[in-house]
Amino acid sequence: MSKWIRWQGVIAFVVVVLLVAGVWFLVVDRVIKRAIEKTGTMLVGAKVELGEADFSLFPLGLTLSRLQVTNPDQPMTNAVEIARIAFSMDGPNLLRRKLIVEEATVEGVRLTTPRTASGAIVRRPAEAEPVSKKAMGDLFSLPSLSAINVQEILSKEELGSQTLVESLRTDLQAEQEQWQKRLAALPDKAKLDSYRKRLEGLKSAGKGGLGGVVGGASEALAIQQDLSRDLDQIKSAKNSFEDHVTGLRKRMDEAVRAPQEDARRLMEKYSLSGSGLANVTGMLIGGTIGDWTATSLRWYAKLQPLLQRKAERKRDVEIVKPVRGKGVDVRFKERAPLPDLLIRTTHVSVEVPAGAIKGQVKNITPDQPILGVPLTFEFVGDKLKGLQSVKLDGTLSRVDPARPSDRANLRMRGYRVEDLSLSKSEQWALALKQALADMDLQATLRGEALNAKLVATLQSVQIASGVKAGAGVLANAVASALSDVKGFTLKAEVTGTVENYEVKLASDLDRVLKDVVGKQVQAQTARLETELQSAIAEKVAGPLNELKASFGGLDSVGTELASRLNLGTDLLKGVKGGSPGGFKLPF
Amino acid sequence: MLNMIANLLKVLNSEAEPGQISLALCFSMIAGLTPFWSLHNLLVVLLVLFLRVNLSAFLLGLALFSGLAFLLDPLFHVMGLAVLTAGPLEGLWTTLYNSTLWRLERFNNSIVMGSLLFSLLIFIPLYYGANLAILRYREHVMQWILQTRVMQAFTTSRLYRMYQSVSGWGWGGGA
Repeated sequence: MSKWIRWQGVIAFVVVVLLVAGVWFLVVDRVIKRAIEKTGTMLVGAKVELGEADFSLFPLGLTLSRLQVTNPDQPMTNAVEIARIAFSMDGPNLLRRKLIVEEATVEGVRLTTPRTASGAIVRRPAEAEPVSKKAMGDLFSLPSLSAINVQEILSKEELGSQTLVESLRTDLQAEQEQWQKRLAALPDKAKLDSYRKRLEGLKSAGKGGLGGVVGGASEALAIQQDLSRDLDQIKSAKNSFEDHVTGLRKRMDEAVRAPQEDARRLMEKYSLSGSGLANVTGMLIGGTIGDWTATSLRWYAKLQPLLQRKAERKRDVEIVKPVRGKGVDVRFKERAPLPDLLIRTTHVSVEVPAGAIKGQVKNITPDQPILGVPLTFEFVGDKLKGLQSVKLDGTLSRVDPARPSDRANLRMRGYRVEDLSLSKSEQWALALKQALADMDLQATLRGEALNAKLVATLQSVQIASGVKAGAGVLANAVASALSDVKGFTLKAEVTGTVENYEVKLASDLDRVLKDVVGKQVQAQTARLETELQSAIAEKVAGPLNELKASFGGLDSVGTELASRLNLGTDLLKGVKGGSPGGFKLPF
Repeated sequence: MLNMIANLLKVLNSEAEPGQISLALCFSMIAGLTPFWSLHNLLVVLLVLFLRVNLSAFLLGLALFSGLAFLLDPLFHVMGLAVLTAGPLEGLWTTLYNSTLWRLERFNNSIVMGSLLFSLLIFIPLYYGANLAILRYREHVMQWILQTRVMQAFTTSRLYRMYQSVSGWGWGGGA
């Protein structure tokens, strides 16, 4: 037996195990720190840095200090900086590879803090952020307040009328060539004259007795048949020609009308028309609201891995792709199902310039279907500096992965707005110098359907509009109207999908501005319309006249076809008898 | 590399029991082919230290099979996934899945399951195969190798001196 047993091996085993455990305990903090930084950076798309991670065995828990999450859009700013995160873990469940945290504390959360070094990372092209289909700057553009130059518009705009005239001219030329060829192939005057000669020959043969009469009858029948066949060809060609001409005439009419259509389209685009003024709010502050929406949705997308993990089902078992490591983990039914990661309650304290906002986040897990309840959050702040009260609550539900449903409500009262830039346009900078705002926001996302409604009431308003000197009467009128505004209501609605959404804005500012600038706009619109119409007409006149001349060339084809048809028809009548010069059978 | 070759020669030419060398190779196969930081490898290490198996052979085999595992991982994944998702075995896996010990073992990972299953299936054939090979080597090849000119030249080389330097290691002989 002793030949196979080595008792001192047990001591060596204990020593090896203790050594490994000791080394692990020495490096575990560093490993956790690196794992959090690496995973966080990958999720956010900018540097995530952790000051320190402290793992303790008794009691089993983890404390993270100074977590900095860089704002990917502003690498010298942290989107979030958290002073301390502490949580205790459930030991037995950890052995089953389940990280269950009953209570976590997140202290000293600060938003948009400056960084000492850039938090940008070099991204591979495949990881680049998808650009929103509609850049928000394109959604809303400020009306031009400077004098609109018609020649400048025409130099950069493609005129539909020009394109139409050019294409019609090419088609007309092709048609003319085609019909000239077809005319050449059809029975012409010479051929029709040959029938006349054959008929005259027949008349003289008819005077040669009974035999001549009988032979003449069969020859007359042959002429009649030949002539009918030729006439059918001419008739068919004439019908086809008339169809073509009808189509071309229709296009010709369109080409004649096209300059007016161009003028109307360019008016809509460049003038301060009624429809342009109907949503001045959208033009002025739509870009800012759009930017806020885009930023919110971008951060929401980054949260997705925390809400739901990728998994596929095979029979009754679930195959879960682990974030790291080789192979796949197959998940079977559990007697007491628990998610792999669950933080039941997280107490959060957010420090904003106005004071502290405290809240709770419940049930953070990427396995909501297993837990059966959604993630909920609630943050409340009262009697803050420059903010009477604020409440944010909501639910992020992935309980049924096929029907994800998220909801968030924000209620803000007595928020003192100061120096909020509404439009950074060089031409027409606009800032809310001061206002007292009450705001209600309700946002839902069910599957792909996004819906958000914002109602903001602003009082004690002071608007500063930076209209450039010499911008004209209209610009000054708008600036003056905005400086008189003491309060307004703003309604915003975001609808569509996360990928493709539309922002609609409405405000009583629209009415105020429309009244003030209406007269100036009308005058400018009328001037622009006249100038545009005459400039387009001048530009298109030459090609249009050429087109009309080309169309005249087609008329000669029609005349020729009609003339051959008439000649042939007369001859046919002569063969059948009863017409002058016709051939009449004697019985 | 030179050290490894020297060790291999030392092990094969030593007077260690063929069974001790073969068993060491079999254990190294389990530890090398399966992910090393798995619970079952703790048992393997305990057995390697507790049973009088040849440690040099175990370490050599561990290096060899760990390298081989990189090539065989795709096969282990397919094997493991097929076994874990096999309908008739679902009850067994579900029971094991609800046990803390087996969850620690990570048996539900396709590569852990595939490589462990493969190693266990090969364990006994490898043991007897290696035993036979060592006996044959010692009977027919060892003496012949030692008498070849190449081997005689080799005995004067740096490699051989290295072999001699490690031949005194107490753990290598398994005694």
